[in-house]
Amino acid sequence: MKLGPAVAGAALLAVVAACGSSTPTASDGSGGGKVGIDHPRADSDFWNSYMKYVPQIAGELKVDLMPATNSQNDVTKLVNNVQALTGQGAKAIVMAPQDTGAIASTLQTLENRKIPVVSVDTRPDKGKVYMVVRADNRAYGTKACEFLGEKLGGKGKVVELMGALSSVNGRDRAEAFRECMKTKFPGITVFEEPTEWEGSKAASMLQTRLEQNPDVKGIYMHAGGVHLAPTLQVLKQKGLLVPPDDPKHVVVVSNDGIPQEFEAIRKGEIDATVSQPADLYARYALFYAKAAVEGKTFKPGPTDHDSTIIQLPNGLEDQLPAPLVTKDNVDDKNLWGNQVK
Amino acid sequence: MTTLTAPTPRVRLARFRDLTLVPVILLLLVVGAFLDPTFLTTGNLTNVLQQQAAISLVVLAEAMILISGKFDLSLESTVGMAPAIAVMLVVPASAGGFGLGLPGMLVIPLCLLVGAAIGAFNGFLIIKFQLSAFIVTLAMLIIVHGLQLGPTEGKTLFQLPDSILYLGSAIWLGLPASIWIAAVLFAAGIAGLAYFRVGRSLYAIGGNADAARAAGIRVDRVLWGVFILGGMLAALAGILETGRLGAIGSNQGVGWIFMVFAAAVIGGVSMDGGKGTILGALTGVLVIGLVQNLLTLKGVSGFWQPVVYGAIILVALMISRIAGGKAQD
Repeated sequence: MKLGPAVAGAALLAVVAACGSSTPTASDGSGGGKVGIDHPRADSDFWNSYMKYVPQIAGELKVDLMPATNSQNDVTKLVNNVQALTGQGAKAIVMAPQDTGAIASTLQTLENRKIPVVSVDTRPDKGKVYMVVRADNRAYGTKACEFLGEKLGGKGKVVELMGALSSVNGRDRAEAFRECMKTKFPGITVFEEPTEWEGSKAASMLQTRLEQNPDVKGIYMHAGGVHLAPTLQVLKQKGLLVPPDDPKHVVVVSNDGIPQEFEAIRKGEIDATVSQPADLYARYALFYAKAAVEGKTFKPGPTDHDSTIIQLPNGLEDQLPAPLVTKDNVDDKNLWGNQVK
Repeated sequence: MTTLTAPTPRVRLARFRDLTLVPVILLLLVVGAFLDPTFLTTGNLTNVLQQQAAISLVVLAEAMILISGKFDLSLESTVGMAPAIAVMLVVPASAGGFGLGLPGMLVIPLCLLVGAAIGAFNGFLIIKFQLSAFIVTLAMLIIVHGLQLGPTEGKTLFQLPDSILYLGSAIWLGLPASIWIAAVLFAAGIAGLAYFRVGRSLYAIGGNADAARAAGIRVDRVLWGVFILGGMLAALAGILETGRLGAIGSNQGVGWIFMVFAAAVIGGVSMDGGKGTILGALTGVLVIGLVQNLLTLKGVSGFWQPVVYGAIILVALMISRIAGGKAQD
């Protein structure tokens, strides 16, 4: 079906492979070996911020980082990239497999070759991982649900703009939100809109739903990067983009924590967002990759950076904190959305 | 409602062939009215038209290109890339632009210019260089999208000049401006292809380019014009879409081309060239828009929407085949 993107990816892969065979970036020879890193995609604001942090933090932590590859949201490309990286002598791999099932055999191969893997943002279903670095996506859904439920006083109608159902993070957010609404706020009706992370679909679906149910009082967006602007545009057109103290105000909760969401919170256009820590993802992915190369091991339990390591059947997971940002703490300097230019 | 965006053509028997989807639209309206009370309200139908306005312009462009016997896949990438580049030329570097400081009112002309340039380049490769239109525009689909991803670094452009937001979000005489724009352009397309010499020559070229050339039609020049016009229509679609969404995401337009072809083909435009009408293509867009709207209103599960959606396109294709009487190609 998606012939275009596939061919695009193939062409890009050829370019990436060609680049990859050139000499890696200057290394200062520290650490025990090179770290290979694959980025999952190039078309989302969140991942672009993450990709910007990676070289910066690699410098700080003195990680010997190889030139990054990009798998364009395609697991077959990820597999090829990982092969290329190990072929070039990577001693540890940082990846973010968006398809958590199909990566299993690659992880098996890497385990046999004794190359530790740090998985960012997603938790592979099978295959050994040294450490999973992610915020708990279920917590996003629950936090959004609790915030909306309390703001609406446990009743009314809510539109949920969902991400792609084929992505584990989209599913986790949707499931947690659904469960929380059902158990804690049974008086709230939720309309689930499958937007596939597309702004165009989100705008059409929200517009249609508001036409059908003019009394919708809350919106939960799975990704501020794609859903924020279309939502604001539709609300504006309907005359519903009003300050929080106006009775017509629609309570909007977002996920991601990009600077534009913070701006909208300051203006009172949306009410809250869950900040997905792009900087911490990059920092701890590299931290654990370096530790892995140096042969360190970790145990389940609390860490020194406000998170908890939990035991998985196939490895460990460091669950990074993902704070709820509202008008009260939107100017907090520690939020990554306030640090990017 | 279905004739809202197009003037009713004069009643001639041969013309009915273009209207084979009209029964489908009527059926959808009746079924929709029973399924959901909101469906058949002016507000909802206006929303449907507004939601389809941008893609309908790409369908208009694709229909003209298909009728003249060529192919353009790259239109969907132009929808995102042309406005993105135009905006980057205008906005300051702090908002993700190139920092050239061009005046904001230039953004729409620049956008159309980018679209025209892409169309002209496609035309050059296909007509002058005689390459396969399918593969050329497939490569261009990839390149043009890359030319958006590269400069923007995949980021969404949030800070846009007001001029580019205006057309996609303004209301003229009680209806969204985008509906008026699409209506006027479709009216021009219907009239142009039905009654004007240049327009008629598209059919001649699509039917048999050599015969058209022998008959004195400047085939290359007309085809090149169609590609340029197609690129500009796609860029205009991008402007309308940008105004509707309030930002330019890195995947704006991505995946549209499948819907565009579906709309054109169920509307009776032949993939082999020389056959079909703009009015038919318009009915194709409306069918797709109404189906999408119904699926949303009924809250069909996201896991099953693609199946229902694809099936309805197939059914529409069958109905238009039966109603049209002729074999499709």
